[in-house]
Amino acid sequence: MLYEYGQIGILLVIALVFPVGALVTSWALGFVRIRPKNVSNPVKDDIYECGLRTEGPSLVQFNFRFYYIALLFVLFDVELVFLFPWALVFDKVGWAGYFEGLSFIGILGLGILYAWRKRALEWRL
Amino acid sequence: MVPLENYLVLSAIIFSLGVYGVLARRNAVLVLMSVELMLNAVSLNFIAFAAYLDPNKVTGAIFAVFVITVAAAEVGLALAIVIRLFRNRATSNVDEAATMKW
Amino acid sequence: MNGIDVAGPQIAVLGAAGVILLVDALVPQQRRLLPFIALIGLAVSALWTISWVARDDYQTAFGGTLSLDHFSVFFYFLFAGITAMVVLASIDWVNREGRGQGEYYALVLTACSGLMFLSAGRDLITIFIALELSSIPQYVLAGWGKDVRSSEAGLKYLLLGAIASSLLLYGMALLYGVTGTTMLAEIGETIAWSGDANRSVLVVAMTLLIAGFGFKMAVVPFQMWVPDVYQGAPTPVAAYLSVGSKAAAFAVVTRIFFEALGARFLSDDWSNVFAVLAAVTMTVGNVMAIVQTDIKRMLGYSSIAQAGNFLVGLAAISVAGGEFTLGASGVLFFLAAYAFTNLGVFVAVIAISQKIGSDQIRDYAGMWKRSPFLSLGLAFCLVSLTGIPPTAGFWAKLYIFNAGIRADLTWLVVVGVLNSLVSAYYYWGVIRQLFTGASEDSTAIRTSPSIGLSLGVAAAGVFVFGILPMPLISAARDAAAIFAQH
Repeated sequence: MLYEYGQIGILLVIALVFPVGALVTSWALGFVRIRPKNVSNPVKDDIYECGLRTEGPSLVQFNFRFYYIALLFVLFDVELVFLFPWALVFDKVGWAGYFEGLSFIGILGLGILYAWRKRALEWRL
Repeated sequence: MVPLENYLVLSAIIFSLGVYGVLARRNAVLVLMSVELMLNAVSLNFIAFAAYLDPNKVTGAIFAVFVITVAAAEVGLALAIVIRLFRNRATSNVDEAATMKW
Repeated sequence: MNGIDVAGPQIAVLGAAGVILLVDALVPQQRRLLPFIALIGLAVSALWTISWVARDDYQTAFGGTLSLDHFSVFFYFLFAGITAMVVLASIDWVNREGRGQGEYYALVLTACSGLMFLSAGRDLITIFIALELSSIPQYVLAGWGKDVRSSEAGLKYLLLGAIASSLLLYGMALLYGVTGTTMLAEIGETIAWSGDANRSVLVVAMTLLIAGFGFKMAVVPFQMWVPDVYQGAPTPVAAYLSVGSKAAAFAVVTRIFFEALGARFLSDDWSNVFAVLAAVTMTVGNVMAIVQTDIKRMLGYSSIAQAGNFLVGLAAISVAGGEFTLGASGVLFFLAAYAFTNLGVFVAVIAISQKIGSDQIRDYAGMWKRSPFLSLGLAFCLVSLTGIPPTAGFWAKLYIFNAGIRADLTWLVVVGVLNSLVSAYYYWGVIRQLFTGASEDSTAIRTSPSIGLSLGVAAAGVFVFGILPMPLISAARDAAAIFAQH
């Protein structure tokens, strides 16, 4: 048993060494004066290699309208958890199991249709 | 092989953290997250029991799957109500959601 | 296909909910048909149940997780009736509210099917799913109103409900861990076979189960949500919560504790717990109800007090002479009587509050002159809640207190009778306002046919079972007798 915990322990040590090592290294390099501090120019502040320049602060409030999409996503995403056991025994449960799985998916599909029909998928107030 | 007791203790600790969060937090969203913690602790219990004690090995896992889906449904609904409250009131603080007293 | 037949009453209700959603989404101009579709679905469900009674072929389905027996049949009828009355009482309110009509009825029906599954489940997983199937629609319904208070009620109900169900699940997990199964009957057998070796774990599991279900039963100390939710939620929804979810919670508690935890060394423990909870619940409910000025809040506390009365039946398990289930049958009889009575009260409150636009008890003054029908119905149902003959409430209290005395719980019955006197005080306060108070506004209140019908049915039920309680009592005895084989 200790052995198993030992494996996890090694993983933990490695997982700690990397971030802590990086932080310690950069902190230590701060004392080594290779170049003058606080030099900033547009090229240096530019985004590394690719990507868009950020605009405004990054802690913005998301538009709550995303909530509809997020809610639907979470619900349907989680419902799919029932399909994993079904997929595992797919070949053993026969046609009855197949159609039960299909009817479950069908009910989920009706749910999507309902959301669609109620215009929950549109960008609106 | 890790003994069953370790899982049960872990689950009890997580559950207690959830209970603490429910009692100490005032923000509805954080209360909800604490409830999630409690539910997940129970799921862990179920799965541990299923793996160690149940001859069929599955009943507890099935229970856990149902717990997960029900938790998702509850969270979805709770967020809907919180958003509604927020639009009416601009608060998600459960203490401020108290127009009714005794 | 047999499983579908056994679950027919629930499937009929769920099917009606689906049809309602479809009609609402596809032919919105036919919206006024929606309550009738709901009523038809409930009628089909009741007919299906009747067909099972006529076939007299009680059985289980889905691997024994769903049980069709006298007990579940009793509750199928009860829940179909309760839901039909709630639908009738909601029509006016929903029409006035205008939005989401289809969803409202669909949610009420979904909750109803959840309640039915709850009374029939014989497996912890089924019970948990059924509990959530009935609870989640009720959370939505509690937050249905447009105002902040309703959202608040929905949020409170949901958060506390989620906490309660996680406590409940912890209890179920321990039960599963000790016995290795989730079937109630097998749990009972395993516990009986292993004796009190795992007693400490079982007591913890039992405590957690009582806490989790105590929330739904609205038992002190898990009652804090009740007044807030009753006051904030739309009145028809409050009516539904006060009878539907309470009855289902008592049904499932009766089934779990008698079938799975019925072993002698456990039942002694839990009957003591229920006795103490009963005394505390009655007292707290009644004392708090006295000071209320809002009638919905008062009814909330009164429903807490009534839950205390039901608990007397659960506590009275050790009746001498082998009548193991006398207390349980008392609970069922009381639940049915209470359903009629409390629905009657709420329907009258819905009708009056809609017209006068207030829930304050003092605004009910002089209602007798404005609407004799509503006043009489309300007063009669309040008399039944107090437990004065000739009403169903009187027989229910008599029956359950009798079970208490025969189980050597005389102290509890004394507490119960004293509490009935206290409750008479605040119920009488409402009645006095109705008949003697003076109001500046004396315009007559007209009742719509649907409200009139539901109030009439409720009051008639209270009266008929107040004169002839025997059919209901024997039905309750049959239903509870399925637990007698221990």
